[in-house]
Amino acid sequence: MPRERPGRWYRGLLALFPPSVRKERGPEMERLFEAMCRERLEEKGALGVGFRVAAVWDALGGALVEWLSAARDVIRSVTAKTMGEHMFALWGDVRFAARQLVQQPIYSLTIVFLMAVGIAGNAAVFRIVNGLFIRPLPFEESERLVDLNETAPQWDLEILGIAYRDFDRWRAESRTFEAMTIVDFDGGNAMIDGSPLHLDYLRTTHDADDVFRVEPVLGRFFEAPEDQPDGPGVGLLTYAFWQQQFASDRDVLGRTVSIAGRPVEIIGVLPPESRFVGESDMWLPLQEDPTEFDGWSAGGVGRLADGVTIEQAREELLAIHKGMVDEFDVNEISFPTVSTLRDRFLGDYRLGSGFLMAAVAVVLLIVCANIAGLVSARSMGRSQEVAVRRALGAPRGRIVRQLLTESAVLATVGAAAGLLLGVWGSGAILSRLAEEFPRWVTFDLDARFMTFAVGITVAAAVLFGLAPALQASGRALGGTSRTTGSLRRRRVMSMLVSGEVALALTLLVVGGLTVLDARRLADVDPGFEADGLMGYRLSLPEGRYDSEARLAFVDDYLSRLEALPGIESAAVASSLPLSGHWGWFFVAEGAPPRGEDDSNPVVLNRVVSPSYFETAGVEFVAGGPFDDFHGRERGTRAVVVNETFVRTHLSHVENPIGARVAPGTDLPDDPNWMTVVGVTRDVKHYGVDEEMRPGVYQPIRQFALAGFQVALRVRGESSAILSQVRALTTEIDAELPVFDVVTMNEEMDEALWARRASSWLIAAFSAVALLLAVAGLYGMISYTVGQRTREISIRMAVGAQREDVLRQVVRQGMVLVAFGTVVGLGLSLAGARLVSGLLVGVEPRDPVVYGGVTLLVLVVAATANYLPARRAARLDPMEALRRE
Amino acid sequence: MIARPFKPQYFQILLALASRELHGYAIQRAVLEQTDDEMRLWPAMLYRSLTKLEEGGLIRAAEPPEDEPEDERRQYYALTDAGRERLREEAETLARWARQAGAAEG
Repeated sequence: MPRERPGRWYRGLLALFPPSVRKERGPEMERLFEAMCRERLEEKGALGVGFRVAAVWDALGGALVEWLSAARDVIRSVTAKTMGEHMFALWGDVRFAARQLVQQPIYSLTIVFLMAVGIAGNAAVFRIVNGLFIRPLPFEESERLVDLNETAPQWDLEILGIAYRDFDRWRAESRTFEAMTIVDFDGGNAMIDGSPLHLDYLRTTHDADDVFRVEPVLGRFFEAPEDQPDGPGVGLLTYAFWQQQFASDRDVLGRTVSIAGRPVEIIGVLPPESRFVGESDMWLPLQEDPTEFDGWSAGGVGRLADGVTIEQAREELLAIHKGMVDEFDVNEISFPTVSTLRDRFLGDYRLGSGFLMAAVAVVLLIVCANIAGLVSARSMGRSQEVAVRRALGAPRGRIVRQLLTESAVLATVGAAAGLLLGVWGSGAILSRLAEEFPRWVTFDLDARFMTFAVGITVAAAVLFGLAPALQASGRALGGTSRTTGSLRRRRVMSMLVSGEVALALTLLVVGGLTVLDARRLADVDPGFEADGLMGYRLSLPEGRYDSEARLAFVDDYLSRLEALPGIESAAVASSLPLSGHWGWFFVAEGAPPRGEDDSNPVVLNRVVSPSYFETAGVEFVAGGPFDDFHGRERGTRAVVVNETFVRTHLSHVENPIGARVAPGTDLPDDPNWMTVVGVTRDVKHYGVDEEMRPGVYQPIRQFALAGFQVALRVRGESSAILSQVRALTTEIDAELPVFDVVTMNEEMDEALWARRASSWLIAAFSAVALLLAVAGLYGMISYTVGQRTREISIRMAVGAQREDVLRQVVRQGMVLVAFGTVVGLGLSLAGARLVSGLLVGVEPRDPVVYGGVTLLVLVVAATANYLPARRAARLDPMEALRRE
Repeated sequence: MIARPFKPQYFQILLALASRELHGYAIQRAVLEQTDDEMRLWPAMLYRSLTKLEEGGLIRAAEPPEDEPEDERRQYYALTDAGRERLREEAETLARWARQAGAAEG
């Protein structure tokens, strides 16, 4: 099993080491560990728990030792450099602070914990955002690389694909590009050393190396004559495939593999970093003919010339493209698009990750406010100590520095814990998400991440440390009287509390909207029955199977599949739900002619065997499926359409059953009519969170596919069924690999995973925010009540009722809460508008969410308010006064 | 300079390198064998020890042998003269201690 890598999880452990150590020894350690795993597997057959635990233990211990020694080195180098008074003083401050903090473990641990919570979220989200949007892509001068494509608004197609003849002209005439190429992902059956396998390959032009600036590690790149139609069969191996399949054999050059029945000579090996968008095993020359129009398919990548902006490039391509309208009038409808690689491939994630970033920043702000409250309350209790130190001649600066040092020590410890937590947490998220992103997106911890981590730690420490520090030392000067000091502090605390309530409410509303949205999406009916539906791909070599043979194969294959135990029914389809788009145009008989600029939406075309509807659980609203005779000859051609198709194409007929449609943008003289025999409910082919297009199903007799997906409705364990299926397939044709196996439930789950995960993350952050805000409120009210014991006692001594006191204290707290709630609702409306682009099933002003969240905040806040108020009202006035 | 007490794994690594140059995995195997399966040096421990020994001048990085394929190049290590000297000293110390223990048991 060359693809299996037993110790892959070990890399996650290496992330815990200091970067320098990881860089220096990481690869060797990984290699050693892999060797150990292999040895172990050979000996025992499995790694075993003991082995894993020992490895994790060794790595954790090792990482700790390395961090400690790195920290010691830094301190040594710093102290060695400026052995002056300052460093001695600072070191003294740190030691003093540490002593102080150890003496108050609850206080210190609370702050460390709060800080860890605040930093963990920020670290986790920043790591993701950094990988997606900030760090440069792994290509030379990657900022000059752009995505090229075409768009056709009139056909309702945002991404059309590029026609090769358009590309050929763009490349020849444009001056704003240094180079441009086409990348087309494809796959096929291959024979390597006599064994069949499915190969994913990328077809590209001979000058792709100028765009990506890659140089083969072995051999050479394509040459122009090899990129002609009918050019020779040559290809390059990707680095990973070279390692896996050929064990990094340097003599691989000149060897021949067979791809789709055609011999291909290996002329080179690509470097490890040349991975583009998807994973592929080989690169082959495109070999397209610009004089033959073969539709729109692949995407393109360009390298802008030095100093050219995307707008300039777009304008120039548009001019070239529209200059071709005289020759090809379809260029009237299509437009070239030029966008950054990130916008094209990651644009969908921008809003969501931006919002997550904002959410964690808010949590950190609330954390800072809470810590500031804590530090402030504590510094109150230390006024005496500070006064003594002032009296003994400690300068004000020194005292501020001492208090700041305490904050810094706590912040650092908390931040370190938070960072570890954040790295682990984001690792867990990313391990699920990695498949969704292009292969050039990486999430290693880099200098940017470290700078960010240090930056927010320092910012947080200053934020929660500086204000109380200044306050404390100011009071020690004796310049302000006690009452005005506490009044000012109360005002600051009031603001903190109102602010916390406002921020927490905002997060809760937005979090509530996204969670509700994710839940509703999970309940959306996809239009087919995902439970028990699985699929895989087969591709019949066209050389050995002509269209008659393909149809015969499908008939025979499906009936033998259905005879297997555990398989209720089997079908083939050009694409199962969630797996790709194949667009055709259709015209209906008798439809009013479309105007010049009327939209003519592209139709999702699916070619299926008659049993498909039953197998996939697609329901009919009218008519029924095809039978075995439909499509056998001209005049019996049939089609099943979906409800959206009826709306877009058949609104002019009373009964869609029996209506006739023909493929094409315009009606030809002798239309190849297909009769509508059934109307199905819409299947959410592109995902439950996407709009559905008009769609048709054609019988496979009408279009004999060579490559297709097989759909199985199964009972019981899918892996057991799969091995029978493989055996059966090999029995029929030993050279047919079964590949891309999916179960529909997993696919659906996977498709919504990112949305669900981010909504729950936001919900978790907002719950944390609410908890923190409530804790802050409780602390603040308790503190105020404590300050006013004397006043309350006097009032009660002169006859005020307990209820009056209770009411007054609660009212005072609730004024702050109410103020925070109003501000929070305003912020929520603004925030919800920002995320409305993410919401599919929920209105951004959903009254239930707003009402529910407001009620929750009010109830929780009132409780936090009531408890200290009740304590105040229970005071025995005489006792309290005596204590004063 | 690496002070006493000289860690047991340092000693075993030097011992493993005494007769030939080895890469990380081979060192691990050698130590496992010469300690009768008692000392398994896991990756973090092994590479930290190697770094320490290299910083202390007792071992040095060595070129892989000619016949090793290029893409599989692993880092080889060799004893320095100081390492060989230190290994001899440590072995003598251990031997002396073992003699003393034997004498005490009597």
